[in-house]
Amino acid sequence: MSSQSFSGIENVLFTCAMLCYFLAMVLYFIFIAAKKEKFARIAFFVQAGGFAVHTVALVVRGIGAGRLPMTNQYEFATSFAWGLSLVSLIFVWKYKFQVLGAFSTPVIFLIIGYAAMQSRDVLELMPALRSNWLGFHVSTAIIAYGAFGVSFALGIIYLLRDRLGSFLDAHIPSSARLDQIAYRSVSLGLLFLTFTIVTGAIWAERAWGSYWSWDPKETWSLITWIIYMLYLHMRMRRGLKGRAAAIFAIIGFICVLFTYIGVNTFLPGIHSYA
Amino acid sequence: MRENSAGQRYFGLKKAFKFLQSMQFAITLLGILAVYCMVASFVTQGKSLAWYAETYSERTAGLILALGLDDAFHSPFFVAVSAFLCLNLMLCNLVRVPSLVKRFRTAEDTRIKFGMWGAWLCHLGVLLLILGFGLGQATKKEYTVYGVAGTTRDVGNTGCALTIDSFDVSLREDDTVEQYTAELTMRNLATGQSASGTASVNNPASLLGFKCYQNSTGWAADVHVQKNGEPLQDEVIYAGEAISVKDKPALEIWLSAFYPDYVLDPVKGPVSASSSLNNPAYLYMVYFEDQMIGMNALMADEKLTIDEYTVTFDNPRNYSLIQVKEDHFQMLALMGGLVLMLGLVLAFYVKPHPEAE
Ligand code: HEM
Repeated sequence: MSSQSFSGIENVLFTCAMLCYFLAMVLYFIFIAAKKEKFARIAFFVQAGGFAVHTVALVVRGIGAGRLPMTNQYEFATSFAWGLSLVSLIFVWKYKFQVLGAFSTPVIFLIIGYAAMQSRDVLELMPALRSNWLGFHVSTAIIAYGAFGVSFALGIIYLLRDRLGSFLDAHIPSSARLDQIAYRSVSLGLLFLTFTIVTGAIWAERAWGSYWSWDPKETWSLITWIIYMLYLHMRMRRGLKGRAAAIFAIIGFICVLFTYIGVNTFLPGIHSYA
Repeated sequence: MRENSAGQRYFGLKKAFKFLQSMQFAITLLGILAVYCMVASFVTQGKSLAWYAETYSERTAGLILALGLDDAFHSPFFVAVSAFLCLNLMLCNLVRVPSLVKRFRTAEDTRIKFGMWGAWLCHLGVLLLILGFGLGQATKKEYTVYGVAGTTRDVGNTGCALTIDSFDVSLREDDTVEQYTAELTMRNLATGQSASGTASVNNPASLLGFKCYQNSTGWAADVHVQKNGEPLQDEVIYAGEAISVKDKPALEIWLSAFYPDYVLDPVKGPVSASSSLNNPAYLYMVYFEDQMIGMNALMADEKLTIDEYTVTFDNPRNYSLIQVKEDHFQMLALMGGLVLMLGLVLAFYVKPHPEAE
């Protein structure tokens, strides 16, 4: 098959996935507005279907390019949305927590929408980017960012729960439980962010001869890491659970987004081609 | 009276020690680090007062220099905060050893037995990372060696010399670079010991305790100078560099740029259409007693004549720039990273979290 037919198939699948996420988001909103649980169940399956199509789109792109589809802004954005979709599906399913879907699908839709605006050309990689370490680096980042996206949604739910009305309140776990679920997603994210930073450092050492150069993207991933470390430690101190933790989870995800998009846009650095 | 003050001092010290190993101190230090890094990331590093004054206001520029934000990650403030963090981590870990050992002996559940070491290992990992990185920064040595195939140069004053035996740039069909590969030999000039290896991008070579990275590349050529038709001088010249004419050192020939596939674009000026040697052109400048006396592009078979001298360029080829590094603490930092990851797995996924299920 030619590379054009690969990209044709990928385009169709990508658009389908985006539409599914949009539909899932709308269904979740109807669930909230109409107070009918049925819609949340359908929304979950629509999102899961979107996720399956999205997975195939990424595989097709990977085969067409002959490498992991994780090296330019488009590829990373679509993978980021994929990771967030994966982690949110797992958390909704594991904790039977449908309201989470209503708060995570808009974020997924925003990120995949951002991906849709990027150039989809498949470019040959410069030698520095052709490394297995880069594969580990980016795939762990996708899971980390997905988990942080979920804790962001959980933080928002935590802060808004008093204003969500009794129907939703009945569908949200107790505050203490919510805090624990958020803790699980932050710890998943933090574990993978640490993998990301360590594998990134190993790759940088091999490609540039320096494992840590205080490049703005590195600095911001360290800042993000410190914010979540603060979250963990502050959570262990009495009285700082719950609200403070929720605020930290939100700030942490804003740092994630800044590391990912803001640094490339506002600050110079060696990562800026990615 | 005296006894009382000694007692006070003892309690003072005890209080200080308690604070230094406390989690509260850790949170404060981490908070300071986070804010400091945020501010620093917005300040372009390593510029002069004049540069900051031009970019920001005079007052901000003064503040940047006073706080050491122009070299934020080596400033005394940053080093001090990192050192306190190390002290904090070390004390906190030391203090916790006895109770952890006791619980390790008494706990029945293996997940608790091992899981509770998670946080302790995280702290140890971070400590090793900071130490490995800090010691590496303070002691590591870096050199660059560049040249066309066949070049040998001293590696700083290490008593070793590096030879670039060959250098290859492999291109794909679309003219993009697939890989840069240099074959290298390192020799210890005193002992005669030598080692050879290959360095390509993403695959450094380890030779006699040095790590050699294929870092970048550029163009070089041979330059020939004749005087009244007689050969005077043959040398390698690198784009961006100059040679002095042997018997008239005030006369300098610069190779300002090299275009392998020269085209004169009406808008952009001279450019290279590809990286293949289809139409090589040498952009030269001639200086005499630091005054520029000529500048032009010379095609492959053209000659440049300056009074009795004739200059020609040929045999254009890529040269390799190798970065040579020695960092004895890199392993320590890597170990720190691995210990940290192990600690996180233990803390989050081995230690039971009864409330979370
Ligand atoms: C950059 C530095 C630090 C990192 C990466 C770090 C990491 C961690 C992690 C991952 C945990 C386990 C969390 C959990 O299981 O829920 C933890 C727990 C803890 N950390 Fe830190 N920490 C750091 C600094 C500090 C410092 C300086 C102290 C000083 C005392 C400290 C004190 C503690 C304590 C007391 C615990 C709880 C231990 C337990 O429950 O067994 N941390 N830390």
